[in-house]
Amino acid sequence: MSILYLLIPLALLLLAGAVWAFFWAVGSGQFDDLDTPAVRVIMDDDERPPEDRTE
Amino acid sequence: MARAESCFHCALPVPANCDIRVEIGGRQRPVCCPGCQAVATLIRDAGLENYYESRDTPDPGAVRPADEAGEWQVFDREDMLDAFATRDGDQVEATVYVGGMYCAACSWLIDAALRQLPGILGADINPVTHRLRVTWNSSATGLGRILATLADLGYKPQPLAPDSTERPERAEQRSALKRLLVASLGMMQVMMFAVALYSGEFQGIDGDMERFLRLVSFLVTTPVVFYSARPFFAGAIRGLRARRPGMDVPVSVAIGSAYVASVYATFTNGPAVWYDSVTMFVFFLTVARYLEMRARHRSIDRSAALASLLPNTATRLAADGRQQVPVAQLAAGDIALIRPGESFPADGSITTGRTSVDESMLTGESKPQPKAAGNAVMAGSVNIDGIVEMRVDVTGTDTTLGTIGRLSERARYTRPAFVLLADRVASYIVVAILAIAAVVAVSWYLVDPDRAFVVTLSVLVVTCPCALALATPTAFAAAGSRLADLHLLVTSGNAIETLSRATHVVFDKTGTLTRGMPEVVRTVTHDPGFTERECLQIAAALEVASTHPIARAFTRHESDIAATGLEVRVGAGVEGVIDGRHWQLGNAAFVTDARTRMPDDDGTHVFLGTDGRVVATFTVADTLREDAGETLAMLRRMGYETSLVSGDGEAPVARAAASLGIGDAHFGCTPDDKLDYIHALQERGDVVVMVGDGINDAPVLAGADASIAPSHAASLAQSSADILVLGDSLHPVVTLMLGARRTMRIVRQNLAWAIIYNLSAVPLAAAGFVPPWLAAIGMSTSSLVVVLNALRLSRIR
Repeated sequence: MSILYLLIPLALLLLAGAVWAFFWAVGSGQFDDLDTPAVRVIMDDDERPPEDRTE
Repeated sequence: MARAESCFHCALPVPANCDIRVEIGGRQRPVCCPGCQAVATLIRDAGLENYYESRDTPDPGAVRPADEAGEWQVFDREDMLDAFATRDGDQVEATVYVGGMYCAACSWLIDAALRQLPGILGADINPVTHRLRVTWNSSATGLGRILATLADLGYKPQPLAPDSTERPERAEQRSALKRLLVASLGMMQVMMFAVALYSGEFQGIDGDMERFLRLVSFLVTTPVVFYSARPFFAGAIRGLRARRPGMDVPVSVAIGSAYVASVYATFTNGPAVWYDSVTMFVFFLTVARYLEMRARHRSIDRSAALASLLPNTATRLAADGRQQVPVAQLAAGDIALIRPGESFPADGSITTGRTSVDESMLTGESKPQPKAAGNAVMAGSVNIDGIVEMRVDVTGTDTTLGTIGRLSERARYTRPAFVLLADRVASYIVVAILAIAAVVAVSWYLVDPDRAFVVTLSVLVVTCPCALALATPTAFAAAGSRLADLHLLVTSGNAIETLSRATHVVFDKTGTLTRGMPEVVRTVTHDPGFTERECLQIAAALEVASTHPIARAFTRHESDIAATGLEVRVGAGVEGVIDGRHWQLGNAAFVTDARTRMPDDDGTHVFLGTDGRVVATFTVADTLREDAGETLAMLRRMGYETSLVSGDGEAPVARAAASLGIGDAHFGCTPDDKLDYIHALQERGDVVVMVGDGINDAPVLAGADASIAPSHAASLAQSSADILVLGDSLHPVVTLMLGARRTMRIVRQNLAWAIIYNLSAVPLAAAGFVPPWLAAIGMSTSSLVVVLNALRLSRIR
């Protein structure tokens, strides 16, 4: 059971890493819009060749 | 004869004489007008047809493009950029309010279309607030081009001045999300350690390992208490300072005392720790607050709502000619030119020209008002058919429109305050729990000091008000998402509770009970050579040229006749040639001869004439919605009183009230009158629900206990309402009232369950019969029961 003395601190480190990553993601605006991404995945915009872009 | 074909782009019915098609997805799709054709073609050519597959079906006409070509280049000018954007070298950033967005596919479309422009560095669109923050390279493109792109897609873009662009919502949402994540991760970790500690209690645990697990729990719980739970402490301190302690006080006491006691036990090897209860309590409360915040943020941004009623720019007439200027730069004394279809940028009076003005949104008056030189006009009203010049008297927030905005702001502020039932109950319960725990701790300390801590812990865990904290927010969240499926958008947290207590439903007339647009209700022919249908078709062919709202009553009718040489006579009507015959369509002075009998019914009369005689008389009126009668009857059967308050004249109000069976009808009301009426009802003890759509309804929507606005309502009215009804029907009001009652029934069941559970568990725990691990299972089960019960709301119909 003494392996826990190593594994639990390791788990806490991972936890801290996860929290840091999430804070960074929130800070960079990835969670500002929680509605669009739900439909974004079903809309691929790669079906047409680019020459149709008349602009 | 009526082919029920609707426009592929905007879902309006396609007129019979219109045969425009666009090929999309390999099929020819019908569209209703050249504007929709242009938008659909643009979307297809840009390779963005997926928009049509992913979007929700729009309200008919909601995305129909406005005809405002050529207005946008002006935004490329330097002084415009100074007014609407912030610059950093070549890099320019602006915020644009995008009107006409209605689902998430819209934000995808806008994003994808903008990224095809050269020089766009970033486009960040928020589908909830309808705000687009766009960054671009000023050497490659300009603001005018960006706005034109949005307008080409059929939206109504409106650049916002930089000072109004900062919204606190974003920061609030971000920090709430971070707090929620810390609380949830912390809760999961601590639960894991708690399971080890509980099972250790059961089958023995090494003393060092126990101390280690407690220390680790302490490390994880500390940020949860000091970071995630901080708003509760801050709220409690604020409440105590203001001498009005709320729910935050007992919550803070519970969190704080459990945490301090646990820390003490951790470092003195005390008999038990409470970390799991602390983190779980914080987590559930944070979830509840987060859900409530999301609902609150769904409401519409007020500053943008007010501004969106005004045009972006105005044409100023100066000594050196015409000049397009941002509306904010208009000052009293300026002369401005207003074309048909534009809205007036400020309050003032007409100096040259005559026209008719649609003031229905501001006053509730359903007929267009004729205006000539010397007449006053209001900012936000729409110029219908003539080119006029106006002298600006008052601008910005001092206009009638601005005053109504302020009035609604104040009405919302002075709305009768009340505390949520659940909050009231929960705060008493929490205080009771703490008191009981203290009594238990002291008595056990006197009887058996060794077991005092364990028993007190059990009492606290078994009575953890998690189920209580969850009872209301889960029910509201489940009801909110179900109502959204039923096209009812709840934007205010306590609206549902208020609705369930409502006694009186007050309706606005124009645009709410009625369609808000004129329809031909009667046709009388005076010439046996023409049938009613022919007369209507001729009228429809003539009115094609007119932008007058009355014209829409005719152009909705199918017509395969084409007229030539159409000419619009401002304030009179239209004339044109059909099959070599000259026709006039318009008011009595324009068309009638001495022999014409004026019809005796209400509404606007339109005459069709040729060769100096009258062929037909049409009665055009704003008709009641089809489901208005049924909806009101159902509301009355459900026991609600119904009233009608309108700014419209006596005759149309009385007629509407009579046909709907409303006894209590008020006409000619100003926004102030409406508010006074509601306040009088509230003094009587009524809980008032207001249903309205006009700008003049905004104050009363804000002042009523709960308010409902249809999605076509003026944005100021929408921002004042608690619930938005998507779609063009009144029936959802009934669904909503039933849903609210049902939601509160579930909330009461949940609260009752939580209270009964706590009351029955406390004596057992206090007597020492419940070990902590069993208490934890009991607590989780009771929370689960509450959540599952709330989920039953997803079956509201």
